[in-house]
Amino acid sequence: MFNFAFNSFYEAIYMNGHGIYVWSVLIIVLFSLLVFFTVYQYKIKKIKEKLDEFN
Amino acid sequence: MNSIRKKRIYNICLVILFSISGVGLILYSLNSNLDYFFTPTELKNKTIPVDKRIKVGGMVLKGSVERISSKVSFTITDYENSVNVEYDGIVPDLFKEESGVVVLGYLKNQMVFAEEVLAKHDENYMPPSLKIVNDN
Amino acid sequence: MIKKFIHQFASPKTFLLQVDKFYGLIFFTSLCIYIFSIIWGLLFTPEDFVQGNSFRIMYLHVPASFLSQSLYIAMAVSSATYLIWRVKLAAYFVIAIAPIGAMTTFIALVSGSIWGIPTWGTWWQWDARITSTLILFIMYLGLISLHNSFSNYEKADKLLSWLVIVGAVNIPIIKKSVDWWTTLHQSASITLTNKPSIDPVMLYPLIGTIIGFFGLIICLILISSKNQIFIREKNKSWVKDYV
Repeated sequence: MFNFAFNSFYEAIYMNGHGIYVWSVLIIVLFSLLVFFTVYQYKIKKIKEKLDEFN
Repeated sequence: MNSIRKKRIYNICLVILFSISGVGLILYSLNSNLDYFFTPTELKNKTIPVDKRIKVGGMVLKGSVERISSKVSFTITDYENSVNVEYDGIVPDLFKEESGVVVLGYLKNQMVFAEEVLAKHDENYMPPSLKIVNDN
Repeated sequence: MIKKFIHQFASPKTFLLQVDKFYGLIFFTSLCIYIFSIIWGLLFTPEDFVQGNSFRIMYLHVPASFLSQSLYIAMAVSSATYLIWRVKLAAYFVIAIAPIGAMTTFIALVSGSIWGIPTWGTWWQWDARITSTLILFIMYLGLISLHNSFSNYEKADKLLSWLVIVGAVNIPIIKKSVDWWTTLHQSASITLTNKPSIDPVMLYPLIGTIIGFFGLIICLILISSKNQIFIREKNKSWVKDYV
């Protein structure tokens, strides 16, 4: 079940010409997740700072 | 549960009912227009003007694919009726005999002159080695 | 009894304390599951007999599409809870989930388009499944901008909740579009009633990515709700104590 599907590292990147589609989708998904996590953490930090000043 | 909440629940149900029936009516009236493609059987029972761009979908009949230079001709079938297609251009990788296909083009003399050929695949996924085992 | 239960758990303060307690655990577990399943799916599964390697996009596309619909259902349930019991936390959830729902729908559309290039030979077609998903995306954006356009939060919450409930009709349409009409998009591979039409070697990592992605999105909803609570209750005394 855990056999490496490709013969070499290069083949895994290239994926018979489909690599560009697979890897670009992966980048889009990871990038979106990263942006959302960072933005929300940043917003919470900002609000906390503001509330601190208020106190 | 007090009467105000009961009334709110009743209101929500009413809104859901109205939106379902509204959208249902729209979908019912649009029904045939929402279909992405015709099957060859549907095509036979319809009169379609020559200048209307249509989409026809089905399976590529086994042994029907012929290539003459850049031209490809094949037969789309739904295993009841079939229609011949002519296309000049590059077909997608997944295009092969006995697999799904959708063509966009014009109907002339019971022939479809395609401008675009798209491959349609089904919901089955399996490794190639298993496919050979299953076929035997 | 239901009322007591809801009011105890629906206090934003209790919610925040629970979030702080479990956030790290949920985040790291789901991140590990997600990364493990993505690597398993992208590199350690055999290729598909029809689509070859491009089928691997499934491991990114399916979780996002699944969640784009589930998040809308979650919004609709929260809306109903808000409208019936006037639970404020439920109203916060509705507007907290909306941007995340839009994000998952966006991923579903873009990954689907990219997947369509090598398999179907096109990146966009107006078939019933693709069009209804685009409508879902526009609905998310519309709901967000509607809420932003109000200065009165309570009015915005009420209108938003009603609209979310009206728009919920789109969800069964998306789900059933591949069965009701002829579409370029294939039918569902995993259903509640039938045996999945995906081979187990390919199915297990898919389930892993769905669970992992689900957990990560839950984490996003938790911090987005936290943000929303801070914005809306910043003048309350307990928030000052909390900070």
